[in-house]
Amino acid sequence: MVRMTFSTAAMALGTTLLCALPVAAETFRWAGTTDPQTMDPHAVNAAPVLSFLNNVYEGLVRRGPEMGIEPSLATSWEALPDGAGWRFTLREGVTFHDGAAFNADDVIFSYERAISEPSDVKSWFASITEVVRVDDFTVDFLTSAPNPLFPGSIANFMILDADWATTNSADLPARDAENHATRNANGTGPFVLSSRDPGIETRLTPHAGWWDSAQHNVTEAVFTPIGNPATGLAALLSGEIDFISPIPLQDVEQVESRDGFKVLAGLETRVIMLGFGHDHDTLKYSDETNDTNPFLDPRVRLAVAQAIEVDTIDRVIMRGAAEPASQLLPAGLSGFSDEHADRPDFDAEAAKALLAEAGYADGFSFGLMCTNDRYINDEAVCRAVASMLARIGVTANVNAMPVRGYWDELRADNFDMYLLGWSPGTFDAEHPIRFLAHTPTERLGTWNFGGYSSARIDELLEPIQQEIDEAARQAMIDEVAGILQQDVAYVPLYTEPLIWAMKDSIDVVQRPDNFFMLRWVSVN
Amino acid sequence: MMLARLKRSEGIWLFSRSPAALLAAIVTLVIVLGALLAPWIAPTNPYDLASFSLIDGLLPPVWEAGGDARFVLGTDDQGRDMLSSILYGARLSLSIAAMAMAVALVLGVGLGLAAGYFGGRFDAIVMRIADVQLALPAILTALLIDGISRGILPRDLHDDLRIAVITLAIALSLWVNFARTARASVFVERNKDYVQAAIMMGQHPLRIMLRHILPNIVGPLLVIATVDLASAILLEATLSFLGVGLPADSPSLGTLIRIGMQYLLSGEWWILWIPTLFLVVLVVAINLLGDFLRNLFNPSLR
Amino acid sequence: MVGYVLKRLVQSVFVMLAVAFLAFSLFTFVGDPISQMTGVETSLEDQARLSKELGLNDPFFVQFIRFIGDMLRGDFGYSFRTREPIGEMLLTRLPATLELGTVALVISLIAGIPAGIYTALRPRGLVSQTILISTLIGVSIPTFVIGILLIFLFGVQLGWLPTFGRSGTVEIGWWRSSLFTAEGWRSLVLPALTLGLFQLTLTMRLVRAQMMEVMRTDHIRFAIARGVPWQSIRYRHALSNTMIPVITIIGLQFGGVIAFSIVTESVFQWPGMGLLFLESIRFVDIPVMSVYLVVIAFFFVLINLLVDLLYVVIDPRLRVRESA
Repeated sequence: MVRMTFSTAAMALGTTLLCALPVAAETFRWAGTTDPQTMDPHAVNAAPVLSFLNNVYEGLVRRGPEMGIEPSLATSWEALPDGAGWRFTLREGVTFHDGAAFNADDVIFSYERAISEPSDVKSWFASITEVVRVDDFTVDFLTSAPNPLFPGSIANFMILDADWATTNSADLPARDAENHATRNANGTGPFVLSSRDPGIETRLTPHAGWWDSAQHNVTEAVFTPIGNPATGLAALLSGEIDFISPIPLQDVEQVESRDGFKVLAGLETRVIMLGFGHDHDTLKYSDETNDTNPFLDPRVRLAVAQAIEVDTIDRVIMRGAAEPASQLLPAGLSGFSDEHADRPDFDAEAAKALLAEAGYADGFSFGLMCTNDRYINDEAVCRAVASMLARIGVTANVNAMPVRGYWDELRADNFDMYLLGWSPGTFDAEHPIRFLAHTPTERLGTWNFGGYSSARIDELLEPIQQEIDEAARQAMIDEVAGILQQDVAYVPLYTEPLIWAMKDSIDVVQRPDNFFMLRWVSVN
Repeated sequence: MMLARLKRSEGIWLFSRSPAALLAAIVTLVIVLGALLAPWIAPTNPYDLASFSLIDGLLPPVWEAGGDARFVLGTDDQGRDMLSSILYGARLSLSIAAMAMAVALVLGVGLGLAAGYFGGRFDAIVMRIADVQLALPAILTALLIDGISRGILPRDLHDDLRIAVITLAIALSLWVNFARTARASVFVERNKDYVQAAIMMGQHPLRIMLRHILPNIVGPLLVIATVDLASAILLEATLSFLGVGLPADSPSLGTLIRIGMQYLLSGEWWILWIPTLFLVVLVVAINLLGDFLRNLFNPSLR
Repeated sequence: MVGYVLKRLVQSVFVMLAVAFLAFSLFTFVGDPISQMTGVETSLEDQARLSKELGLNDPFFVQFIRFIGDMLRGDFGYSFRTREPIGEMLLTRLPATLELGTVALVISLIAGIPAGIYTALRPRGLVSQTILISTLIGVSIPTFVIGILLIFLFGVQLGWLPTFGRSGTVEIGWWRSSLFTAEGWRSLVLPALTLGLFQLTLTMRLVRAQMMEVMRTDHIRFAIARGVPWQSIRYRHALSNTMIPVITIIGLQFGGVIAFSIVTESVFQWPGMGLLFLESIRFVDIPVMSVYLVVIAFFFVLINLLVDLLYVVIDPRLRVRESA
C-alpha cells in the first residue's frame, strides 16, 4: 500500500475537522482562477477538471486528507496471485445522483470509456490488459506485468452510470463537439451538479443518497472562476465569496491582517526546476558566435546550480513560503529518500572556478525560456536566476512567455535552458522518472524536452514500476536520484507553495495536490 | 501659413496666456529629457542584470521607514531601482509611442492624401481598409501581428522584434485618424482655385499634394499626432496589462505597471503607484498640449 | 441612390471577407491548441492524431474555405477548450456585453452632452475649465487602473457595490438581463461607469467642438444679427444643428464601446464576450477567438453601413456627390 507522509499545517486542521459535527447549513461560495473546461471526467486530464469533478464523481479508491489511498466505490482490493493484476470488491448500496444503483457494469463501462480513442486518461491504464467482471460487485483488473502502484494511480478514475451515459449518447468522451456529459454529470459523489454556466458559475447541491456520512454542512456550493487576481482578492475581502485559491503570495499579509480572514499555506507537490538542452550541439540564443553548448559539460551545469541562491529567491520572491528542493519530486512523497536530500550549496566562487575549469572563465550568454502565467511568480524567478547567473559572468537572455505557446517552443527545442514545474500525478517517484528522466521516446520521457539520457535510468524504470518489495524498489529509486544529481540533469529549485485564503468562519482541508474537496468544508 | 504664424511668436504669446499649457509643456519637456538622458542620469541600468541584486528587493522609497538612500523611489521585486526603471521605462514607452505615431502619420497621411486625390476605386479600397482596421480593436491587432510575426519570422528573431511588433500594432490602430483627416482636407482643397490651377498647369500630383494640400492640414495633423502620442502610451500600457505587451526585462511604463499590479494590496504601494502616477502625469501633460495646439491651430474655437 | 447602396453593400462583404481572413489566419499563427486541449500525460501519437482529426494539418486555404462555408451555414464550430458550440457560447455572452455597452453609452451621453454644451457656450468659465481638465485626467488614467480603484473604493472599503460578476439576472427567453432587478443594477454600475468614463470625454469633446463650429456658421450669425434672443439661438438653432452629426458619431462609438469592453470585462469578471475572448486567448481557443473577431467586425461593418446610409438620407448634398 502506498502511504504518504506529507505533513502540512493543514493536516492538524483536517483531523479536528473530521471530529466536528456539522452545525448550521450554509451556502458556500468559492472562486479559482480557472474554470474546469468540461464536466466529463474522461475528456481532459487536467488538474482544474479532476479537482472539481472529484466532488461530483468518485473512483474505486479516493485520497484522504493526507493523500493516503482509502476505499471509495471499492471497499477493498487485493493483488491477484503471480502479479496478474488487482481484484476490487465494490461497495453495495451506492446510488448515482439520478437514483440508479451502482454495480460492476458501471465500472466496466467507465473503464472502456476511459480507454476509448477520444479519452485523455488512457495513460492510467497502460498496464491493463483486460478488465473482468467477476460478479455484480467484484471486478478484476488484469495486468501484463506486476503493477504494485495500480490502485494508487486510479484515484482520479471516475465512474459514471452506464445507463445514463448510453441513454444520453455520451458513451465516449467528447472531443471536438460537446455531448451530454460536457455540461451534465451523474456521479455517485457527495455533490450533485445542479447548474452549469461555463466560465461564469457552477452550482452544486449535496447528494442526499451519498453512501458516506457527510462531514460538510454545505447546502449549496457555488463556484465562480475569477481570472484577475486583484478582482478575486477584492471579492473575498468584500465578503462576496467565502474562499479563493490561489491568492498571490504578496497579498498573504494583507489578508491575514484583516479581521475575519485567514490564509492556509502549505506546500504543493510541484517542484520548480531548470532544464538544459542535453542533446543540443550548440547554443541557440547566444550573443557570441560559437559552436559548442557549454551545458553539455556537467561542471557548467553544477556551476549553474551553485550560482543560484534558492534561499533568497524563496525569501524575496516566494515570501518564504516555498521550500528548497533537491530532487524532481518534493520531499515527503512516496519514493523520496533523504539519501539525496541535499542540494548543492550556494557558492558563487566555486561556481566561477568550475566555469574556469570547463574553459568558460569569461562566461558566455544563452537563452533561458520561461513561462509568465503558469507557476507562482515564474517570470520573477527567471529574472532572479538570470541576475544571479550574471554574477558568475554568465548572461541569460530571458524569454518569458505565456504558457499557451510554451510547450510548443520547448518541443521545437527553442531553448538553451528552460523553467519547468512538475507535479507527479501519481504522487510517486516513478512519475517524474517516467516523464522527465527517461530518454525521450513516443511514450516515455515525453516531457524530457532537453533529451537527457542515461542508459542506467532507462534500464531501471521498468523494474521500479514492477517491484513489489518496498526496500528493493526504494534502492532503485535512490540510484536514479543519485544519477540525476551526479549528472545535474536538472537543477531543482524549490517546491511551490500552496496558498488558500478564506473567511475565518470557513474550515477546509488543504490537500497537497491542491484539490479542493467540498466534503471537508464547514461553514460556521 | 500656420508655421508663419508660429514664427511670429503668436504661439509663445499664447503660451503666456495659458499657464496650464505652459506647465504641461514644461512637464513634458522634463520627462522627455529625463527619458532621453536616462543612460546618463539614471542611478543604475535596469537592463544590466549584474547591476541589481535580489537581496535589495522590495525596499520602500527613501522617505519611508526602511528606505535606502541608494534607491530614492524604492526597489521592485527584483531589487531594481524604481527611479532608474521609470526613467528607462519612459524612454522605451516614449520611443515606442513616438515611432508608432510616426509610422501611423506617414502611412495615414500618405494613404489619405492619395485616396482623396485619386478618389474612385482607390479611395473606396483605402476607406474600406480603414473600416477593417477600425473593426479590429487595437489589442486584437496587436495579437494578430504578434502571432503572424511569430509564424513568419525566424524564431530567434522574434524576441528582438517584440518592440517592433508592438510599435507596428499600435501604429496600425492609429493611422485611420490621420488618413481620414488628410482625405477630408483633400476633398476641400482640391476644388479650390489654386489647386485647380496647379492641376491645369500639369504639375505632378505628388508635388500638388505636398506643396499645396499638405501644408493646409499641418495644424490638425499636429493635434492628432499629439493626442495619438498620448493614446499610444496608454495603449502600450493596456496591452502590457493584458499580457500581450513587452516582456518584463524591457521595462516600459506599461510593463512596470503590470508588474506593480501584483502589489496592489500588499503594502508595497510604490511598485504600482509611482510608475502609474508618472504615466498619468505624462499623458495628461501631452493631452493638455494637444488641447493647446488645437486651440492654436483653430483660433475660432478659442 | 440604389447604386450607391448596392456598392456599399458589396464593399461591406469584402470587408467582412478580409476580417474573416485575418481572423482565420490566427489558426495558423497563434500558439498550439493541442497541448492546451490535452493533459500532461497524453502521448505524442495521441496529440498527432487529434491534430489530424481537427483538420489542423490541412493546407491553409482548404481550412479557410471550410471556415467561411461553415460560418455562412451558421455553424460557428466548437470551442477547442470546452467543446461547446461557439454560436451558443457567444449568444449567452452577448446580452451581458450589449447591456454593459448600452448603459456605459447612456452614462456617457447623459453626462457628456450637457457638459459639452456647457463648455462650448462658456469656454472660458472656471467650471468649464475644471470639467475640461478633470475629464482630461480621466482619459489619461488607464482604464484598468480606474476599474480597480473603483472596485477597491466601492466594493472593498465602502462595501456598497459588488466587486465582480453579474448577479441578479432575469431570463427573458434566451436573453439574460440584469436590467430588471436592483441586484442586477448594483453589479452593473461599476463596470458601466468604468467603461463609460472614457466615452464620456469623447462625447463631451465632440459635442463641444460641433457646437462651437455651429455657433460660427452663417445662419447663426444671421440669427444673431436679426436680434433673435440668445436662449433661442443656443437651444433652438445651434443645438439642433449640433445633434445630427453627433448622433451618427455616437452610433459609431457604440461599436468602440463593445470592443473596448474587453479590458473592463476582464477587470470586473463581467461574463460578456470580451471576457470570453480574453479567456480564449489564454487557452489558445482559436475557434472562439476567430468567431469573436468576425462577430465584432460584423457589428462594426453593420453600424458603419447604417451610418453611411443615414448620411445619404439626411444630407442630400452627399447624394449628389456620390453619384457624380
